[in-house]
Amino acid sequence: MALLGGRMFLSLGRSNISNLGLKQTTNRVTYATALSVNSSAGNKERGGRGSVGRRPRRDPGEPRTGKMPVDQDWASVYPSATPFRSNAVPLPVRMGYPVKGGVSPEKKGNLELVKIPNFLHLTPAAIKKHCEALKPFCTEWPSALDTDAKCDEHFPIKIQSSDYVSAGPSVRNPSARIVHLKVKLSSLNLDEHARKKMLKLVGERYCKDSDILSIKTDCCPLRQQNYEYAMYLLTVLYHESWKIEAWEAEKTAADMEEYSWEDSPSQKNILDTLLRMKVAGEGEEAEVREQLLARGEVQEYKDSVVRLKNEGANENSMLQYKEAVKKVLNV
Amino acid sequence: MSLHRLALRLRPTVKHARCLHTSGSIQQQEAVAAEPEPESLSVFRTQEKDPACHSEKHIGHFYTLPPAHVRPLFPNSLPWRYQQQTKTFNETCIMVRQPALEVISYLKKADYSQPAVRYLFYGLRGSGKTMSLCHALHYCYAQGWLVLHVPDAHQWVKNCKELLPSSYSSSRFDQPLQATTWLRNFKVTNEPFLSKIKTKERYMWTKRESTEAGSPLGELVDQGISRVKSSSDVVGAVMKELRLQSGQQGAGFHLVVAVDGVNALWGRSTIKKEDKTAVDPEELTLVYNLRKLMRNDWSGGAIITTLSQTGSLYAPKSAYLPQELLGERGFDSMDAFVPVSVPNYSEKEFESCYLYYMDRNWLQHPLSECLLAWLLCDER
Repeated sequence: MALLGGRMFLSLGRSNISNLGLKQTTNRVTYATALSVNSSAGNKERGGRGSVGRRPRRDPGEPRTGKMPVDQDWASVYPSATPFRSNAVPLPVRMGYPVKGGVSPEKKGNLELVKIPNFLHLTPAAIKKHCEALKPFCTEWPSALDTDAKCDEHFPIKIQSSDYVSAGPSVRNPSARIVHLKVKLSSLNLDEHARKKMLKLVGERYCKDSDILSIKTDCCPLRQQNYEYAMYLLTVLYHESWKIEAWEAEKTAADMEEYSWEDSPSQKNILDTLLRMKVAGEGEEAEVREQLLARGEVQEYKDSVVRLKNEGANENSMLQYKEAVKKVLNV
Repeated sequence: MSLHRLALRLRPTVKHARCLHTSGSIQQQEAVAAEPEPESLSVFRTQEKDPACHSEKHIGHFYTLPPAHVRPLFPNSLPWRYQQQTKTFNETCIMVRQPALEVISYLKKADYSQPAVRYLFYGLRGSGKTMSLCHALHYCYAQGWLVLHVPDAHQWVKNCKELLPSSYSSSRFDQPLQATTWLRNFKVTNEPFLSKIKTKERYMWTKRESTEAGSPLGELVDQGISRVKSSSDVVGAVMKELRLQSGQQGAGFHLVVAVDGVNALWGRSTIKKEDKTAVDPEELTLVYNLRKLMRNDWSGGAIITTLSQTGSLYAPKSAYLPQELLGERGFDSMDAFVPVSVPNYSEKEFESCYLYYMDRNWLQHPLSECLLAWLLCDER
């Protein structure tokens, strides 16, 4: 509306100027409207693109990186996880496939840098700040637990689980539900029978060399559920191994974990042989057996047989067995 | 070091051997007894033919078994390849080695009023267990013992063409073919004893046939050979008689029981019953009776055995130690046995063997020095 008025004013002004002699106002008006005429004419032709309104378009000034001091507080520039802003990161970073005969494109307007996850909000200084902020909520490590041995003694059960960090739409990771429970059997109160039964119950989960029982639970969807299940398993194993069932009395020699020489065919054989050899004097059978068993050679023979059966056969144990047999049979 | 020694010995002896054999080459194909070797070839041979006189200084040397001993002692019971070799070379030569000497020394100083001691040769495949057994057996034979030799116990638990239910016990099975073969070999080996030993009990074979007590052992054996159906029971009877009589006063003989591949007795068998279930070796009469012999409840003799993985059933190739091959049951039955390890050839023994084959013209071209060095350093 003002434009139209301006034009009309122009035409009126020209006709009046010669009569009134107001030349100055006419000049001003001409200059001002001349500009607006050009822009409005251009607008009307293109229809919509470019700046709407009379607001002048400013040049972008120097990027913020130019004004950043070297010792600034970076944590306030990137306080949380934000996409990459090229004019806020004062690093000459390049990314992308190199232009032919050139280098990777620069950071300004580079979509590749924006797409990837960045950890600019997690610099060591920022993390220190986080730790400082968390400190009021923490308690001191107990001074009495200064060695590993003491920790094991007071806290024999060790729970281990993993947390997973990834940049994606979701922070959840199904592997984070797995819980490992490790405990040394020597710290549990088990007698001989209970220990053997426990070993039979857990099977593969026990490591003989380190005496550690490890239970891994991953059947429940949440870590807390898996932890509770693991503790439940430990409790149940402990109590079950102390119970003695009626059918445990039927344990045969084949079920035994270790070879025991008493009442074994080997003992019977050697006693029969020695009796036939009439090595011992005459007397009550039980006494004679006692005497024979107490002999040094028979003890050596017993050791070699037990070693052979428990350790398995190898050259050394065979040699030991051979020497023992030669002594016993007087070969 | 040994390579140099061997190379020095090799050249003159090879030439010498070639001269000897080219002169008599026309008669080479005919069966000619071994001529007395000149001194330069005796680095690997010894003239001592009696195993009782073998000692440490003969280790590594080959000794020739007298032909008069070979035929009766090993009627078809030597390993097949070795039999071929003896036919080719016209002589039966066994190398004197430490394990066999050890067992012979034990046999020499054993007290035969005590229960029989069990010896077991064990070792890797091809290390010489069967030959050590044969050497020890030759010693026993030369001393005039009664030899009960089972050349390969594995033959009794596999490839059985005829399996009959036993007439004596309904739960067991007979193997007539294997039993008759064994009885024939036994007869050939122990000819002189067959008339001397008398049976102590009466055995009824059928309603009409029986062997009275006091009849000679030969009659029992002939009964088994002629009546094939009851041959397994005859084998059992023979074993029982020998076991009972061997330690007694006035028996006049020592008994040596030699079993090759003794782990077959406690292993598994591939023989199937009519309903396709596998037969447990215990259910075979032959195996059952042999197991009874392996117990040391008799005296007046010795039991010499070897383990064998070749020919064994369901045993892994890497197994060679007694406990692995005998299994739980076998070990418990054989317990209190003396295990004797048979190692592979030492360097000296390897050289001896190599020179023997060169002498017999089995190796036609002398090995080049570098190949020999490679072989010697690969010896375990």
